[in-house]
Amino acid sequence: MGLQPPRRFGTAKAGNRPDECEDASWISYPYNGGPARIALGDGASESAFARDWAQILTRAFVYGLPDLSDLDSDALAVWLSHGIEAWNRAVPWERIPWHGEAKTRAGALATLLGMTVNQMPNRSGTYPWQAMAVGDCCLFVVRDDALVLSFPLEQAGQFDNAPPLICSNPANNAGLWPKVRQLNGEFLPGDLILLASDALACWILQQRESGCRPWETLLSLRSNEEWSDWVQAQRGQRVMRNDDTTLVAIKVE
Amino acid sequence: MPYTADISRANPACFLFLLDQSGSMQQALAGQPGQRKMDQAADAINRILDTVAQRCSQGMDIRDYFVIGVIGYNTDGTGRPVISSGLQGTSPEQPFLPISQVVDVAEVVERQVKESDGAGGLLDATRRFPVWLHPRAEYGTPMCQAFDTAFRALEDWIARYPDSFPPIIINVSDGAASDGNPERQAQELMNLQTNDGNVLLFNVHLSEVAAAPVQYPDNVGLLPQNDEYAAQMFRMSSSLPESSRNQAQILDLPVSENSKGYVFNADMTALVQFLDIGTRAASNLQ
Repeated sequence: MGLQPPRRFGTAKAGNRPDECEDASWISYPYNGGPARIALGDGASESAFARDWAQILTRAFVYGLPDLSDLDSDALAVWLSHGIEAWNRAVPWERIPWHGEAKTRAGALATLLGMTVNQMPNRSGTYPWQAMAVGDCCLFVVRDDALVLSFPLEQAGQFDNAPPLICSNPANNAGLWPKVRQLNGEFLPGDLILLASDALACWILQQRESGCRPWETLLSLRSNEEWSDWVQAQRGQRVMRNDDTTLVAIKVE
Repeated sequence: MPYTADISRANPACFLFLLDQSGSMQQALAGQPGQRKMDQAADAINRILDTVAQRCSQGMDIRDYFVIGVIGYNTDGTGRPVISSGLQGTSPEQPFLPISQVVDVAEVVERQVKESDGAGGLLDATRRFPVWLHPRAEYGTPMCQAFDTAFRALEDWIARYPDSFPPIIINVSDGAASDGNPERQAQELMNLQTNDGNVLLFNVHLSEVAAAPVQYPDNVGLLPQNDEYAAQMFRMSSSLPESSRNQAQILDLPVSENSKGYVFNADMTALVQFLDIGTRAASNLQ
């Protein structure tokens, strides 16, 4: 009984080194039994220090975000200010070459999907969860061999090259709050929870729209090596975009 | 579908700038007294190289999505063609450098600028600007020779990267070739191709003829009738691929499927915009 340990797979865009992967994920199952926190982010390659920003945002979600049920524009801004400080400390401002100067001042950009979920069922046997999303990393729930939830995007056609993004320069977050999507619900024993960065999320929805069961394929992958080979094959067949690709899968028992 | 190749470090895109450095480039651009064509041209190319470098920058590192070449052309006092390479350490025959090396050969100057303080006011700031080209203008305009040189360089490049996004050539000139009609050489350049489409040749026409600017015309009737080279430069220009048209539409510029990569007498803003739209034809960075 309870939330099973997560399985996490990731691979960088073909042509990039593993250490250039701009997807980031952080997961915490607190020992005190408090809600698990899972965050997945995707740094935008067109911005500078995006990998650092995605790491900082996801870590900050797991270790520092206020209760999602109280989240409002002000609480989000206060929380973000800590991340922005951390990013500014991480950037070697004195050593930035001229070509990186303007871009770094403009700030790094990243998407963020975060979820909290009880580690153990409540009295009615369900697992209450809350999620927030900015951008196109997606949360999926598979129940009784059917996809019952897709958040925040629901169709493959909704993916484009301009998802909402969180910026490490607060001046560029003026219109952020209306782009924050929130949802809550309850998982049931037997559910499969999937968190996917955009290229994989788009693939999952395309497969589902074609009448397939993409979760069966994802569950069959046993190691990061198998995962990377499989992602590479999908890219080769042009059914998955060449992009950093991350999956977090959690079973509810 | 052509012009859709992914651009990556393994499969970079190539930009080749051809710059007319003939004596007539010392003249002022029509309608902009005091603005010499050679200053505008050098400034615009410096700015677009800066923009391209910033597109590739990750902050500290820079990714080699692009290779860049700059070829200047004029003649000496005897009329002999002088074809030179604008990037330090290259030659007209092998003019290309990856963008990570292009940034290393820039002369970086500091300037005081006014910037928004984000609250409606202005702040003084010191910013660094890269310079690769200095204005230069002497003698004749061997455009045919320049196109021939570009052809040989690009033939080599395409043999190395046959699956790449097709090279983009941007020729900045006042249009008056002194070594014959360059249309045949231009057509040969446009006939070069990778597996993703034909080489794109775009033209920036800096004329001293007093006529209204024309951007991205889709038929020759839109050109000024009193410039004898305008129609020729129009014919020597490739149609804008979809990626460039999309970029132009984002900027509210009127373009159609037949719009050419050609601009006549653009002011500095429109000129830099043209170079940006031209180079953003190659936008599918991976």
